[in-house]
Amino acid sequence: MKGRIALAFAAAALMVFAGYAALYIAPDEKTMHAIQRIFYFHVPSAICAFVAFFVVFIANFAYLGTRQQKWDWLGVAGAEVGVACSTIVLITGPIWAHPVWGVWWTWDARLTSTFVLWLLYTAYLLLRGFLEDPQRKATFSAVFGIFAFLDVPLVYFSNRLWRTQHPQPVILGGSNSGLDPMMGKVLLISFVGVLCLMAMLIADRYRLERLRWEYEELRFRAESRAAEEGAKAPRAAAEMR
Amino acid sequence: MTTARAATILLGKELQLEFRTRELLTTTVIFALVVVVLFSFAFEPTAAESRRYGPGLLWIAFLFAGSLMLNPSFAREQANETLDALRMAPIAPFAILLGKMLANFIFLAMAEAILVPVFAVLYNVSFSGVAGRLIFVLALGTFGLVITGTVFSAISAHARMRELLLPLLLLPILTPLLIASVEATASLLVDQPELDRTWVAFLAGFDIVFLTASWLMCDYLLEE
Amino acid sequence: MKNFESLFAAWMVVWAVFFLYEVTVARRLSKLQEDIERLKQQLREG
Repeated sequence: MKGRIALAFAAAALMVFAGYAALYIAPDEKTMHAIQRIFYFHVPSAICAFVAFFVVFIANFAYLGTRQQKWDWLGVAGAEVGVACSTIVLITGPIWAHPVWGVWWTWDARLTSTFVLWLLYTAYLLLRGFLEDPQRKATFSAVFGIFAFLDVPLVYFSNRLWRTQHPQPVILGGSNSGLDPMMGKVLLISFVGVLCLMAMLIADRYRLERLRWEYEELRFRAESRAAEEGAKAPRAAAEMR
Repeated sequence: MTTARAATILLGKELQLEFRTRELLTTTVIFALVVVVLFSFAFEPTAAESRRYGPGLLWIAFLFAGSLMLNPSFAREQANETLDALRMAPIAPFAILLGKMLANFIFLAMAEAILVPVFAVLYNVSFSGVAGRLIFVLALGTFGLVITGTVFSAISAHARMRELLLPLLLLPILTPLLIASVEATASLLVDQPELDRTWVAFLAGFDIVFLTASWLMCDYLLEE
Repeated sequence: MKNFESLFAAWMVVWAVFFLYEVTVARRLSKLQEDIERLKQQLREG
């Protein structure tokens, strides 16, 4: 309990500070000015999405190895948060691209890969929705999750290879060229903030899944108790006669 | 019985089953033809454009046709619960999966064997001189499609909305394969055709990674 | 600052996605906790 409150507080504080830093402390970029500051949340969200999906991978592995339900809970939590982070990347990307390049979207390697990642883990979540038996749901989504994560490097690599054959505008000049040290520091603060936020969201979602499981168990016990008592009553009545 | 032998026997069973009615094969070929024709409405196929867009079109047609064709692979087993019988046989679980993968490969390969010449005729694209290399690229790409598709067929067979679920699971996973196959095929259609070694190596890598993953996880796929 | 509206829009998106997600999870959590308490009570009495 204390840990959760501490994490929530840390996340909130860091995010507020990061927001302030991104706006006022970070130096102004020469060509893009204000809009470049999106970078301080766009990039950490992308990294955190990947971290979240890695957590899903570990959870999937662990579930298949141990068959302990808690790994399945972690898997779905990580996937949902990962999709949320990827959504942020996919929305802030175009918001940045439009004033800078005049286009909303570009099929460059990173954005395309992120889009595919988003599709992969959304498919993971949808798969879970269409499987009813809890054990099968956990097992099959773990298998798909592992396939999906194995695909991630292939997606990135194939997109990069493909895009270097058809050169595209370089995205976020600041991340390829040398980074101003102050920008680097603000980026780090922001990254830690988003990471804490991500951890907090995964923890809460995990807890939700765990409580759902507990609820189902309690409900099952209550229903079987009611069924037992329903069966006992006519027997008791018969014995009385 | 070794896995290879069991897989071959199961492959024979799958082929025999299919050739009795040939309905899966015919529908797959017709569907892919429909896709190929539809593309002609999407752009004006001059020779230069056909060579540029051709490979992409072809592989998208194969992906769509493949996604539909792979569904019955495991769904068919459900009607009479024949999968339970297979599981109880004294063979490695991977043999079941491998047998189906090989069968699906053969079906899709047969569909492609019809589609590629038809495509060449309809869009005025010449494959002469590169036929051998083209077959090699087609084989690698199709194999990757079939490996992942068969695994996901096993998964979606137990789910609701399986006809929609299978493409939903399969197509995002296959984007690297699509890129690699299209680029490898395209490199064979230029004036100086040459087999692009990078993309071919990538395709081979893709196939190996997912074949290994299927092998390692086949027990989980086939459990009760 | 130039392009401040776009920056603001992006910041709003970041905040909105995380906040809405947390809110939906927290709401479902508290409702579940209520339901669980109710069931536990039911089992104790029965």
